[in-house]
Amino acid sequence: MIKETTAQAVLLEAKRSGADYAEIFLEDTESTQIEMLDGKVESANYARSCGAGVRVLRGTQSAYAYCADIGEQALMETARAAAAALGDAKYAPSGEVSFAVKRYGTKMERPFDSIGNADRVALMRKGALAAKSVSGEVTQALVRYIDVLQRVTIISTDGVFSFDERPRTRVYIQAVAMKDGEAQTGVFGPGCGLGFEAYSDKIDVEEAGRTAGNIAVTMLHAPECPAGFLPVVIDGGFGGVIFHEACGHSLEATAVGRGNSVFCDKLGTKIAADCVSAVDDGTLPGEWGSIHIDDEGTPGQRNLLIENGVLKGYLIDKLGSRRMGMPVTGSSRRQGYMFAPTSRMTNTFICEGSDDEEEMIASMAEGLFAKKMGGGSVNPSTGEFNFSVNEGYWVKNGKIVSPVRGATLIGKGSEILKKIDRVGPRVWMAPGMCGSLSGSVPTNVGQPRIRVDGITIGGKGGAIE
Amino acid sequence: MTNTEFYEKASAYAAKMGCEGCETYFGAGESFEVNANAGEIDRYSVSREAGVSVRVSFGGKQGYAYTERMSEPERLVDRAIDNAKCIETDDLHPMQKRCAYQAVASEKSALADMDEQARIALTKRMEQAALAADGRVQRVIYCSTIYESGRVAIRNTNGLEAERSSDVSIIFVMPSVKDGDEVQTGLAFRMGADAADAEDCAKEAVQDALGKLGGRAVPSGAYRVLFRPYAFSDLLMAFAPMFSADEAQKGRSLLAGKEETKIASGIVTLTDDPFDPVAPRAFDGEGTPCVCKSVIEKGELRTLLHNLKTAKRAGVESTGNASRRSAAATVGVAPAVFRIEPGETTAEEMVGQLGNGLIITDLEGLHAGVDAVSGDFSLKAAGFLVEDGAVVRPVSGVTAAGNFIEMMKSVSALGSDLKYALPQRGYYASPSVLVEKLTIAGD
Repeated sequence: MIKETTAQAVLLEAKRSGADYAEIFLEDTESTQIEMLDGKVESANYARSCGAGVRVLRGTQSAYAYCADIGEQALMETARAAAAALGDAKYAPSGEVSFAVKRYGTKMERPFDSIGNADRVALMRKGALAAKSVSGEVTQALVRYIDVLQRVTIISTDGVFSFDERPRTRVYIQAVAMKDGEAQTGVFGPGCGLGFEAYSDKIDVEEAGRTAGNIAVTMLHAPECPAGFLPVVIDGGFGGVIFHEACGHSLEATAVGRGNSVFCDKLGTKIAADCVSAVDDGTLPGEWGSIHIDDEGTPGQRNLLIENGVLKGYLIDKLGSRRMGMPVTGSSRRQGYMFAPTSRMTNTFICEGSDDEEEMIASMAEGLFAKKMGGGSVNPSTGEFNFSVNEGYWVKNGKIVSPVRGATLIGKGSEILKKIDRVGPRVWMAPGMCGSLSGSVPTNVGQPRIRVDGITIGGKGGAIE
Repeated sequence: MTNTEFYEKASAYAAKMGCEGCETYFGAGESFEVNANAGEIDRYSVSREAGVSVRVSFGGKQGYAYTERMSEPERLVDRAIDNAKCIETDDLHPMQKRCAYQAVASEKSALADMDEQARIALTKRMEQAALAADGRVQRVIYCSTIYESGRVAIRNTNGLEAERSSDVSIIFVMPSVKDGDEVQTGLAFRMGADAADAEDCAKEAVQDALGKLGGRAVPSGAYRVLFRPYAFSDLLMAFAPMFSADEAQKGRSLLAGKEETKIASGIVTLTDDPFDPVAPRAFDGEGTPCVCKSVIEKGELRTLLHNLKTAKRAGVESTGNASRRSAAATVGVAPAVFRIEPGETTAEEMVGQLGNGLIITDLEGLHAGVDAVSGDFSLKAAGFLVEDGAVVRPVSGVTAAGNFIEMMKSVSALGSDLKYALPQRGYYASPSVLVEKLTIAGD
């Protein structure tokens, strides 16, 4: 879609104020979103986002300009705007970049443009019916479907000239259970980086619907969670959000490269319990958070973050690499052309351990079993995080005694990692949208079932007998 | 292609394809953002964006499609018709007719007339002021200046033609302070007419961070709580969907059918004021003239917020609250400027009224720890412990849990210190709010 000669001219223009690196990001993204309430389609929308961003670096200074136009003239203007941010255009850079042209992409068996809304709606209806089938108390099922095909071209003065096609799709089901003026919700939202074939190969929407419905009904009959500082068992899948918030964000170059992380200068030192190893792996085929190349054109890779409790690596983009004097890790991501890229996570998870899943509950005197987690957030400078529990159970004398609703977990990342005392043998992951400086990007979180020996549980209930 | 030409081509093609109605919503904007770090501008972003959404009415159903490629009106209409064909609800969603609008005036935006060099100098000055404010300031994490201007134009086959423009000036700074091994961060911002007060903003942010040093948890239990304005504005934003007639009609709001009943303490008045100088606008996301109204008046729910679709279904007039989060989004419902009316008590006097309890200044986890359907929330909180009417020490590492509706009924005092929160999903304003009971989890 862009000629090499145009790319050369745009990169030269971008360097006219003394930049030592310039990069073009072209995007053409199509998405379809449908919303169904109570088995009836409420709204359907199609969106095509199309634009270009030009970024320049001079040392550790960066400037970014973008425009909703990918014409040659608009690209030149955008390059000029980016260059002007670094100073006067007093240089006359010359020379051609020698490009290595590469094509990447996920081959879709059922591309989104080959299916109609009828296929999408039929799929959604299955999920809605499954949610309602759980119980008469499920009064409402909301189903949101999205498919996205992002096509990007990334060109830089490093010689990158890469095309990539990135499909992803997700069904998000929210069930509402109501009784006596009280309402509780249950959500489940599987997704992956494939075409529509995902729904025959990888994702079972009926199971997703039942899961959402069951959570809503269970929580409707649950007392409020007691508050206090107690041990917590966190299940696999979305439970991995604890690592994502408590540690992952603080390992991103965005925080580390500027000295704004509790894990600065901690490489090779012990930051977690011996039983904790963790990776960020962008190479897993077809996963929600996977990438072929990152948004600077670096191929995705498997990055070891923690090994047996010792910090082994950070997540580093090109600008972070300059700040930190360390190599890039294929971790540079952005929501789209409206954002300059920065270091982000892909599929991030705690690795499998050897502890028995049942024993970690059976050996607990009193505490919480957090089966399904909600979202959370963290302040990387202090490491203080919070996240919500969507499906929780109270444990007493090693036995689950009651479901509990409304729990929140808070703590400090550096402290929690050291308090993990059990890690189960089976890892699974779940998708989420992660928001940060470069926008909202799809990431997987994951872990085996783990136990944390003491964490602040927020809730408004009294003691559970 | 201009947006007028785009509308003409799209509407002519839509008519040819059998649509009863066609509307285009054009959004365009320019933005400028710089961040200072260690005396240099380390991040700089400028942009120009534009996009258009087509909404068609086809066989009584509505379909949407959006593009940033202005060259393809026919293709976009085809997509919108495709989407209309899969709609299964029978709700009618009328398009607005041509309307007359009142003139609105916004407060002067401090950054509007400033050139780029002046904005950069302002940003650097703010960082310098933060670094110089106290010996314990470690570094400045964010120090940004943002100026955005935007235009919206809506046209439809009912004869509607509506255009407006707006701009936003914001500066914000987040310093970190260090005392021994303890690190804390603070945040302050200024917007609109105040967006040039870099020094004040920097000092406030540093004070915010220093005030948190030495914070620790309190014992778990039930506490009286004094919310400071930003913390309560955040809660108001998180629970705003409860006031949407769309959510209510979908069975997702506990306020459904509660009009004319008491839902809050008698001292609470909640206004939706589209003409508030902070962000005034004459019409909403579907071209309906905006109106200022009490949503809660002295504790009684007066109205939910409506767009044309929810109003039609309820048999009432639209309240002018049709929203479009962006040109790419479909029509929803949202407040314009949601404001809890202040009381007479000063912020200091309210600490005396609290007597024994907690001041909450910060809430975190708002995108996860609140449930707008049930009204429940459980959030990470920070603030101060108050004993016998005096601040004793900072508090951190606790959660505050409650139910929004129950809490609104227990409001016992409102401060005179009305403040507008940093705009995220719209504008929310609140004074300090004293509530009788929340459950705090700590030690």
